[in-house]
Amino acid sequence: MAAWLDFSKAISRREWLRSSGLGLVGASLSGWLPVLAAEQAGGARRHCILLWMHGGPSQLDTFDMKPGHAHGGQFKPIATRADGLRFSEHLPKLAEQAQHLAVIRSMSTKEGDHGRGTFLMRTGYRPGGPVEYPTLGALVAKELGDESAELPHYVSISPYPLFNPAAFSPGFLGPRYAAATVGASEPPAAQGGSSYAQLKLDDLQLPSSIDPAQSLRRLELWDTLEQGFVTARPGNSALAHQLVYRRAVRLMRSQAATAFDLEQEPAAVRDAYGRGRFGQGCLLARRLVERGVPFVEVSLGGFEANSPGWDTHQNNFTAVKQLSDQLDAGWSRLMAELNERGLLASTTILWMGEFGRTPQINAQGGRDHFPNAWSSVLAGGGIRGGQAYGQTSADGMTVEDNPVHAGDLLATLCAALGIDPLKQNTNAMGRPIKIAEGQPIRDLLT
Amino acid sequence: MPLGRFVTIAFGLFAALCGSLGGRAILRSAAAEISGSERVDERLAARWIEQGVEPAAPADDGELLRRLYLDLTGVIPTVWETRAYLTDARPEKRGELIDRLLLSPAHATHLADIWRDLMLPRKFDPNQTAGLVGLQNWLRRQFVDNRRYDRVVADLLVATGGDASGPALFYTAVGLKPEELGAATARIFLGVRLDCAQCHNHPFERWTQQDFWGYAAFFARLEQRTRSASSMRLVDAESGEVRLPDSQTIVPARYPGGTVVDPQERGTRREQLAIWMVSHDNPYLARATVNLVWAQLFGRGLVEPLDDFGEHNPASHPQLLEELAEAFMSSGYDLRQLYRNLANTRAYQLSSRAAGAADRPADLFAQMAVKTLTPEQLYDSLSRMALQTAATSRDRLADPLRQAFLVKMQTQTPSATDFELGVPQALTLLNGPELNRVTDAAQSGLLAALEAPFLNDPQRVEVAFLATLSRWPRDNERAHFIEYVESTPSVQRTRALGDVVWALVNSAEFALNH
Repeated sequence: MAAWLDFSKAISRREWLRSSGLGLVGASLSGWLPVLAAEQAGGARRHCILLWMHGGPSQLDTFDMKPGHAHGGQFKPIATRADGLRFSEHLPKLAEQAQHLAVIRSMSTKEGDHGRGTFLMRTGYRPGGPVEYPTLGALVAKELGDESAELPHYVSISPYPLFNPAAFSPGFLGPRYAAATVGASEPPAAQGGSSYAQLKLDDLQLPSSIDPAQSLRRLELWDTLEQGFVTARPGNSALAHQLVYRRAVRLMRSQAATAFDLEQEPAAVRDAYGRGRFGQGCLLARRLVERGVPFVEVSLGGFEANSPGWDTHQNNFTAVKQLSDQLDAGWSRLMAELNERGLLASTTILWMGEFGRTPQINAQGGRDHFPNAWSSVLAGGGIRGGQAYGQTSADGMTVEDNPVHAGDLLATLCAALGIDPLKQNTNAMGRPIKIAEGQPIRDLLT
Repeated sequence: MPLGRFVTIAFGLFAALCGSLGGRAILRSAAAEISGSERVDERLAARWIEQGVEPAAPADDGELLRRLYLDLTGVIPTVWETRAYLTDARPEKRGELIDRLLLSPAHATHLADIWRDLMLPRKFDPNQTAGLVGLQNWLRRQFVDNRRYDRVVADLLVATGGDASGPALFYTAVGLKPEELGAATARIFLGVRLDCAQCHNHPFERWTQQDFWGYAAFFARLEQRTRSASSMRLVDAESGEVRLPDSQTIVPARYPGGTVVDPQERGTRREQLAIWMVSHDNPYLARATVNLVWAQLFGRGLVEPLDDFGEHNPASHPQLLEELAEAFMSSGYDLRQLYRNLANTRAYQLSSRAAGAADRPADLFAQMAVKTLTPEQLYDSLSRMALQTAATSRDRLADPLRQAFLVKMQTQTPSATDFELGVPQALTLLNGPELNRVTDAAQSGLLAALEAPFLNDPQRVEVAFLATLSRWPRDNERAHFIEYVESTPSVQRTRALGDVVWALVNSAEFALNH
């Protein structure tokens, strides 16, 4: 390693954050739930994976089936590994993991527009007002990130932020907490499904015209300039510049970056996850969690090739079946492989979209936006699996008990991760803002 | 009501409110005398002596040149501008440069960028392009003409034209919500965080929940009309009220810290607020504005944060702030004069270099703060080097590569002295297309210029330094970089120069305004 790459010479990230006034403010109420104290004492590093279902998935055709009712649709329920818990027939592999899954059937929110619902569910706060609330991944990664890690703290795979870019941004936490995004393209149809989706971390690779030897020469030139300037002006900004560049270069050159290289996985493993963006994204999520990345999100349902994703206003059943196949393969392998590696207990998974779908089936065989009563799923570390929480009416139109709001869901996720949801960050206007405004649901926590 | 007539009425009322104009005129000339740069330096120096602080050395030519270009025009100087300045031995060149930059079109563009940024919530919306260009061009016109700032604010407060024809995006970007418009105008033009009182009274603030909603009520009667797809207008309606949150209590419009608006008072609600805004009943506008401009130049305000004026948060130099505000009013709210006075101070022209830095607290202004280039300054400076600058506001604001860059680099803290970027952004700077178009021989205007046959390699290295860091290379740098270029086979010279430029534009010295 070239001398200038020696990271230990730089100030630590923690010191730097403190000196630049970015430390946390506010009343942390550690010990407010038994799980927090236990986790803080325990010490296993925690991870979170968000499976983001872009467009709003149908609860009636996945986790809250209504067989025998006119709203139920054409899919049949199947038994799972958890007594009495039933999923759609198109989620058979996931049914084998049901003992780790807690289905929340009583999601109750007030935003039925894609942009507004996306903001609500991804930040925990309703859109509007002067505060730019941070996206969930930025909030969690800030709490769980390890200052000395080489890999980014928050990786977002195949995001589709166009409904509401603000809901994917680090908001008032600032760009330092932004996701490193992994762009993904589906395998070309021309190859008849024989190849895999291509996943690539943005700007990790050198431009095509630059070879590695030249890059190293460039960095050596850079270092002479950087050292001179930082020595003459030892303010925070010059040091922060040097530190961030060193971290970026270290990532480019590090073995850790091979985490992003899915070709290192055997074909059988890759195939089991599914060859599309979501399946390969789940595989990448497992590789990143193995290497200590605290927050990874994988999206399913982005628009492309005229597919509406989960936004199934027409032909709901064809689309949901096709999406369920991808979901079933990717998610179930992810659970199984994390478990085999002993990582499931320290990794909490949240499955959700921006809202659910109407129980009524419209004239186009579709289901429309429905925030009144819908489902989300928590799984893995800190979660009491094998249960359904809350209940909807026989026609699926209303929540009958234990309504769960966006803030409650995120507070519960935080609790499962050992994060105090009442901890406050301070925005640029000096306003303290809780990580999650809501009540953790004890019945869902171990 | 036409704007011209409105402003006439406004100033008629303003004069009536002020009472004896003769008395004020004497005060104004006294204030004008102490408004100059020297007075600012006296006030600052008094505190240095009091605190036993030794100010930093004066900035050298290259340092000050680059600082002035970035602060006053938003981009770094060109090679020829730099060379001309560095080789000019006359002492008056500093003042001349300041005057020249203040009169340049780029200055008006830069101020429009700054005010547009202040006025819009930072969420990025590609559908706003028409309104964005309208707002930008409207602001630019005000700054090109150096219109009285109080009148610019009054005109904005009664503006109706949107899209390409005016600044109404300021209103529509927050959905015409009275509480957001109240909060934004209070923050930018009054320097107070009224919105903290939006939800409840704050025990330590003078502003109550009633005050906030009474102020927001001035924006309660706005409606949006769309004439055609490209021409949106605002209309002041006859009715519309605000209510306290979770209650039916209507809050009447009330001037900040003053009286409830008499329902018989003439004009629309917005006109009433505009008249108050420019009157001497409003002590906030001038103070907030001089503080804003001070912070742009010095990296932090006399009151910091900029939008937190109040007894709980005194200015670092209260008397200086009052004098600057008084002088700003006396000058007829002349922004250009304000920038000129501050840029000509000894304090602004101090070096940011380090010796003794630890003993100089930032709020004494005894050493120039190191500011981070805004994403706009960074992108536009890179464009300048690539020789790919946009001709019009529309070209510039709608450039998709620029938009993507700004979204990615979007910063959050209002503090100019933080370096906020993280690893994903650094990767973009290291490997992304924005820098590659400056360092790749096939795309870069700068590299094409460096290939000129009349230059030798030492001269090429020199030009690369002038183009990026606005200074000559130091002896050790000169030796190191020339050796690097000359040790490369001649067929790869351009490539080696690309490496030199790459290292320069990725350096902290380039990313920071120092």
